Amino acid sequence: MKKNPAADHPVASTAIGLLLAAAVCGSLIVPIYARISPKVGDFPFFYFYLLAYMPAVAIVLWVVSLLQRRIPAPGDPGAIDGTAGGIIGGDAEGTR
Amino acid sequence: MSNVNAVTFTIVLVLFVIVTLVGFAAARWRRAENMMHLNEWGLGGRGFGTFITWFLLGGDLYTAYTFIAVPALVYGSGSIGFYAVSYTIIAYPIAFIFLPRLWSVSRVHNYVTPADFIRGRYGSRGLALAMAFTGILALMPYIALQLVGIQAVLTVMGVDASSTNTFVKDLPLFIAFLVLAIYTYVSGLRAPAAISFIKDTLIYVFVLVAIFYIPTRLGGWGHIFDVAQAHFASISPATKKSVGTFIPTTKSTGSTQFDFATLALGSALALFVYPHAITGVLASRRRGVIKRNMSLLPAYAVLLGLIALFGYMAVADPVTVAHVKVSGNAQLAVPYLLQHMFPSWFTGIAFAGIAIGALVPAAIMAIGAANLFTRNIFKEFFRPDASDQLQTRMSQWASLVVKLGALYFAVELPHTFSINLQLLGGVWILQTFPMLVGGLFTRWFHRWALLTGWFAGMIFGTLAAYNTSTATTSHWASSSDIELGHSVYIGISAFVINLVIAVAATLILRAARVPEGADETLPQHYTADPERAPAPVPAGVGAVERSGDRGPSAS
Repeated sequence: MKKNPAADHPVASTAIGLLLAAAVCGSLIVPIYARISPKVGDFPFFYFYLLAYMPAVAIVLWVVSLLQRRIPAPGDPGAIDGTAGGIIGGDAEGTR
Repeated sequence: MSNVNAVTFTIVLVLFVIVTLVGFAAARWRRAENMMHLNEWGLGGRGFGTFITWFLLGGDLYTAYTFIAVPALVYGSGSIGFYAVSYTIIAYPIAFIFLPRLWSVSRVHNYVTPADFIRGRYGSRGLALAMAFTGILALMPYIALQLVGIQAVLTVMGVDASSTNTFVKDLPLFIAFLVLAIYTYVSGLRAPAAISFIKDTLIYVFVLVAIFYIPTRLGGWGHIFDVAQAHFASISPATKKSVGTFIPTTKSTGSTQFDFATLALGSALALFVYPHAITGVLASRRRGVIKRNMSLLPAYAVLLGLIALFGYMAVADPVTVAHVKVSGNAQLAVPYLLQHMFPSWFTGIAFAGIAIGALVPAAIMAIGAANLFTRNIFKEFFRPDASDQLQTRMSQWASLVVKLGALYFAVELPHTFSINLQLLGGVWILQTFPMLVGGLFTRWFHRWALLTGWFAGMIFGTLAAYNTSTATTSHWASSSDIELGHSVYIGISAFVINLVIAVAATLILRAARVPEGADETLPQHYTADPERAPAPVPAGVGAVERSGDRGPSAS
C-alpha cells in the first residue's frame, strides 16, 4: 500500500490545497476588503464581499470534494474488513 | 404581565408546546432495539444521512449566538461584529480538512466523544481527562448564552417585566429550561435532531421575510447603511472615542482589523472542536455525509450574514434605539426591532424561532458534555466496568447537571455583550485543538507536551480573560486584549503559547526518550468509511482501554 496517495495525483492535490488556503485567506486578510467603495447596489464593499464570499466558499468546497474523489484514500475498501471488522463486526453480530 | 401582547404570547406558547411534544415523541423516532446505549441516546443511533445531518448541524451551530449575540455586537460596536460572518466562512474549509478523519477513526473504534479518541490515540488517561474537562467547561458559557437569548425574547415579550424578584422574573426561563432538560433526558440526541426541522423552518421564514421587508420600512438599504455609518463615526460622550467602526480600521489608535481576523480565525478553529459539534458529526451515517455537509452548511452562513445586518437595521430604527436605551441591554435590539416592524402574529413566529433556536443547541451541548463526563470521567476513573445501561443513565443525569451549571454562568457573568460567553468558551476549547486536530494527522506531538501546552494555554487564557475590564465592568469584560500593540482575541494568543510549548516540550521529551504511550489507531482508520455502524456495543473502546490489549473485546 502506498503511504501517500496524494503524491500520485500532484495536480489534484495541489489544487485542493490551494483552493482551501485561498478560501481561508480571502476572508482572514481583512485589508483586501475593508473598504466602503466601490458600493455594490446599496451595499458598501465590505458587506457585499462578506455576503458574496459564502456562496463562493460553498462552491469551492464542492469542487474540492469532486477533486478528492480522484485521489483514492489509502486502503479505502479493504482496510475495514481487515482491521475493524474483526473486532467490532464480530461484537455487533454477537448481540443482535 | 400587563403589557404582554396576547397574540405574540399565544403563538410562542403554542409553538413551544408543539416543540415539546416533538421532543418527547422523538424518543420513538428511528427507534433501536436497545435504547439504553450511548450510541443511541448520545448519538441518535449514528445513522443520520445528509439531510438530517444538515438540519442537525445547522440547528447545532447556529444558535442564540447567531440570532441575539452577533447582532447585539453589531448594534453596539459596528463592523467588528461581522467577524462572525468571516468566521463561519472559514470554519468550513478548515473543518473539511480534519472532520472526515475524525469521523472515520471514531467510527472504526466506536468513539463516542473526542476524548475517547485522545485516549485511544495517545494512550493517555490524563490527556483524555484534559480534553473532557475542557469540553465540559467550554460548553457551560455557551449554554448560558442560549439562556441569555431566550431571556432576551421573554423580556421583550413583557413576560418577565412585572416583578423585581429574580426568581419570579426568570420563572418562564426556568420553566422553558426545565422542559428542555426533561425531553433531552428522555429522548437524547433524537430530540434536538427532530426539533431542528421546526427550528430551521421558522428561522428561514422569519429571516427571509425580515431581510426583504424591514428595509422597505426603514427607507432602503442605502439609508440603513448611511445611518449606521454616521452613528458609529459619532463620538461617545462617555469614552471620548467613536461609538464603533463601520469598516474595520487600520489606524494605530483604534485598529480593529487584527482583532477582526484573530476573532474570526480563533472562532473558526474552535467551532468543530466543540464537543456538541463533534456530537452532531459523529451521529452521521457515512463519511461522505460530512463532506457533503461542509459544502451545504454555508447556506446557513449566508443566513448569519443577513442576521448580523439586523444590528444595523436596529440602529436605523429610532423606536428600537429608544427601547434599547431604556433597557440598557443591547441583546434586546433584535427582539425589539422585530416587535416594532412585524404584526404581532409574525413577531410570535420570529420569537419562537429564536427561542427554539436556543433550545436545540442547548440540548445538543448538554448531551455532548454529558457524554464526555460519562465516558471519560465517570467510566474512566470511577466505574471502569460500567454497563451500557449505566453509562446511558449516567449521561442522562449529567445532562441535567450540566444545564444547572450553565444557569450559574448565565446568572454570574456580565451580559453587556453576551457574545463574550461564547468567546470565553472558545478560549478554552481552542486549547484542545493541538491534541485533537494535531492527533488526527500526526503522532509527532508527545502526550505530556500536549498536556503541558494545554495547561499553559488554559491558565494564560483564563487569567487574560478575567483581567479584561471596561469602565463599567471589572472582570470578564472582553475577549480580546492587547498583545504586542495589537488587539488580539485571547483564544489565539493562548493557542500560540500552547502550540509553542507543545512543540518545544515534544522536542525535549523525545530527546529524553520518555515513553510515548500506545496508539490503538492505524493510518487507514483515518480514511475508512465503514457502512455499518459499530453499534450497538462499544465494548471495543472500553475493554481495550481497560486491559491494554484487544482480548476481552472479542468475547
